[in-house]
Amino acid sequence: MSDRLKPVDPRRILKRAAGLGAIAGLAGVYLSVVGIVERFETRNVVTGVAPLGLLTVAIAILVAAYVAARPPRNWGMTEPARGHKFMASLLTGAAAGLVLVLFLLAVGALDLRDIFPNTTPGLVRILSLGIEGPAGWAALMALCLSLGAVAGALHQLRPRDRQPLIAAMAAVLLMSLMEPFLNNVFLQLRQNALASFIYQRSGLTIPAAVIVFLVVLAVSAFQTYRGAATRRRVAALPENTRRSATYVALFLVGLLLLVLPHLMGVFLSEVVGTVGLYILMGLGLNIVVGYAGLLDLGYVAFFAVGAYATALLTSPVSSLGLGMDFWMALPIVIIVAAITGIIIGAPVLRLRGDYLAIVTLGFGEIVRILLLSDALRPIFGGAQGILAIPPPVVGDLRLAGPINLYYPILAFVVLGAFVAWTLANSRIGRAWNAMREDEEVAAATGINTTNYKLLAFAIGAVFGCVAGAFFAVKIGIVFPQRLDLLVSITVLSLIILGGMGSIRGVILGAFVLVGLPELLREFAEYRLLIYGGVLVAMMLLRPEGLLPNRSRQRELHDDDDSAEVQYQRRVGTETGAPAISAP
Amino acid sequence: MRFLRRPERITRLGLILWAFRIAIIVFVVAGSYATLSGASGVVLSPEGWRDLVIFGIAQGSIYALIALGYTLVYGILFMINFAHGEIFMAGAFTGFFVAVALAEEGIMEANPILGIVILLLSSMITSMIVAVLLERIAYRPLRRAPRLVPLITAIGASLILQYSFRGIYGSGVRAYPLPDAIQGRVEILGIPILRSQLIVVIAAVCLMFALYYLVEKTRTGRSMRAVSEDKEVAALMGINVDRTIATTFAIGGLLAGAAGVLYVFIFNQVSFAMGFLPGIKAFTAAVLGGIGNIVGAMLGGLTLGILESVGPFLLLSGFGVPSTNQLRDVIAFSMLVIVLIFRPYGILGRKES
Repeated sequence: MSDRLKPVDPRRILKRAAGLGAIAGLAGVYLSVVGIVERFETRNVVTGVAPLGLLTVAIAILVAAYVAARPPRNWGMTEPARGHKFMASLLTGAAAGLVLVLFLLAVGALDLRDIFPNTTPGLVRILSLGIEGPAGWAALMALCLSLGAVAGALHQLRPRDRQPLIAAMAAVLLMSLMEPFLNNVFLQLRQNALASFIYQRSGLTIPAAVIVFLVVLAVSAFQTYRGAATRRRVAALPENTRRSATYVALFLVGLLLLVLPHLMGVFLSEVVGTVGLYILMGLGLNIVVGYAGLLDLGYVAFFAVGAYATALLTSPVSSLGLGMDFWMALPIVIIVAAITGIIIGAPVLRLRGDYLAIVTLGFGEIVRILLLSDALRPIFGGAQGILAIPPPVVGDLRLAGPINLYYPILAFVVLGAFVAWTLANSRIGRAWNAMREDEEVAAATGINTTNYKLLAFAIGAVFGCVAGAFFAVKIGIVFPQRLDLLVSITVLSLIILGGMGSIRGVILGAFVLVGLPELLREFAEYRLLIYGGVLVAMMLLRPEGLLPNRSRQRELHDDDDSAEVQYQRRVGTETGAPAISAP
Repeated sequence: MRFLRRPERITRLGLILWAFRIAIIVFVVAGSYATLSGASGVVLSPEGWRDLVIFGIAQGSIYALIALGYTLVYGILFMINFAHGEIFMAGAFTGFFVAVALAEEGIMEANPILGIVILLLSSMITSMIVAVLLERIAYRPLRRAPRLVPLITAIGASLILQYSFRGIYGSGVRAYPLPDAIQGRVEILGIPILRSQLIVVIAAVCLMFALYYLVEKTRTGRSMRAVSEDKEVAALMGINVDRTIATTFAIGGLLAGAAGVLYVFIFNQVSFAMGFLPGIKAFTAAVLGGIGNIVGAMLGGLTLGILESVGPFLLLSGFGVPSTNQLRDVIAFSMLVIVLIFRPYGILGRKES
């Protein structure tokens, strides 16, 4: 008999499980030392039952224990026995618990606060579940073991039973994270009773959590059991019915978008306005990175140019002192934007991907430092920036304040999404596609790669500049401190999360990465840490993004690649770059 | 008679690039002339210029140490390890805690050389561990992925490292307890030099020689060169490619850790964000010297260090620009842009076909 049919050696599974548990435990230690555990403890997922701080550690252990029950595919043998898998999960929990208890012991025995300021008594209390002394260590250990057991039990279920359960748990988590948003909306609608039924002290109440859990469980179960049949029936509907259903849905979404700011109130409109600006920038950078495949790390330069150009033209106290109307200034800003895009784009076009990234990063920093410098203070106002930017005016209406500004931003986001979508499906979009896949072949088929790259840069710049223009009128003042690399990184992260080249992805990414941290102050502090995590995790686990663009997905999964490409990637010789050499 | 040949077809892009070149040359010549002729009334004494150059050499040798890490990794994996600046920062941060401990125990006062060696070793080892972990967790699984994927991962890793340090140690800037032994000046050939700068240059030169020896004369170095030539063939020759790549990262980390300590000797403070600018500048230095080329990285580092120290004053003050020192980073970034656009293969690198 071949090796494949032998069951996996249980010792091998258990060894791996212990390793995974140790990693999960270390992840818990990391989360504690970085301060996430204690900082997030103030937010509840289910009030009184599950605070978010300890839950971050718990999720790490759950995931590790779940993975431990599933031997890697390339071990290439038959499934291990159920008992062994369960033991593996349990062992993972035990190992993680051991690491965490050792951490508690270390924190208790040595005062590490000089080096690790976050190892406070508060942290110890959280990790030992509020119980003093050795009983607390035992409680922590018991918690870890039960997490291991839960993960092991989940793994024993059939996938169709497991998926609804996981979906329901995720829904409870998501619903609790939406608390600042929904609570605000409820209060705006004067539904105080509803708000206090669902949420208490920043988390779901127990009955609300149970309801959410059961509802999502039911819906998800229906979908896994009856989903295929339902989809078939929908597909069998006549063409006209389906089309009109789509129109009705679009109409409803449009209506909702129009009344949204009045439902949300000032604070949330402000947040959604910011998200809108990032969607606009995301759409623009998506053209440069996602469609044309040019990694631009200096995208903030365009944002800054847009903001400063608007400020210079419209503010009566700027160095130009024109005090133009916003709508008069906008076309000029757009032209300036396109020219900036070409100026920055032209010299860097010949560069390879990674060099291009660094050069554009350099451009972004140069723009910021120049804006900040004393040397150019007479023009750009140095660190103080430019003040008194008037809001746009439509007819007699001054579009001041987040609720009014929501509408022009929404209009430009819709327009931007339409333009991006049209471009992607046009001759230009196909040319970009070809260029991204293989520049030399694209050039050989008669695509003028220089022009198309410049076009991508110019269009991307216009998107960034329009976002910058609205940023300027939104806060009424521009200054260079907020126009740094982190803006570029944020936009890049949201594209990566949603999926390069995907318009839906940009929207999702902006809401998750920009909207959530604005709402959850606990997140705001660890925002960039989370962005970094998103970039690495997405690249390692799902490089095509959460809502991928179809052709992109094919590109990034090399199972579909030809044997030749796979060979080249493995060998890594396609780059032709110079090797280490001595003179 | 080369220039009598029929000229190549001039493209629009070529024209723009030539305009760029000419503008840069005109700017540099006019700026230097205006400053040196003293027309603007801002003058610097010869001693002032000399100190700027010495400072430039000291910071340049630090850039060179960091640049070596970029160059080694690029030479072997053809990827920009964007997180290398954070590896440097990790070393500097560890150095801070060790230095505080050493100062409290009085070792720094009693035996400064031992103290500095302990400091260097602890930082180097920390940076090495960070670098190796980074390679193992973030880069190794992506070795076959398209080029942009590891670069984006590296950006993410850089953010994670930076903000983990911020989370763990707080966002404040911490002043470094410098031992008396490295303060003050010494005279060499009649030129007074800050002791810290002298130590930095000497340590950097020693490390660079050690690296050169390692890469050129040892077995490890030979396997590194072999892997950078051709991974597949190297593997067939019995070289453990994974281990060699990890070694490369480890060496880069060691050098970055040492650079972290030396950097602090000059600038006296540590913070979570300190890795970003030196990282980018060292990358510039690596490209300037020809990326993948060890001697090039050293030369590139020194060149960039001196240019950055002398450049702002030399080029700008002649035009009457106030507070030129604010613009020193612009000089570095402009160098980066100019080098990458006009000579991406560097001073010593080969031109790619």
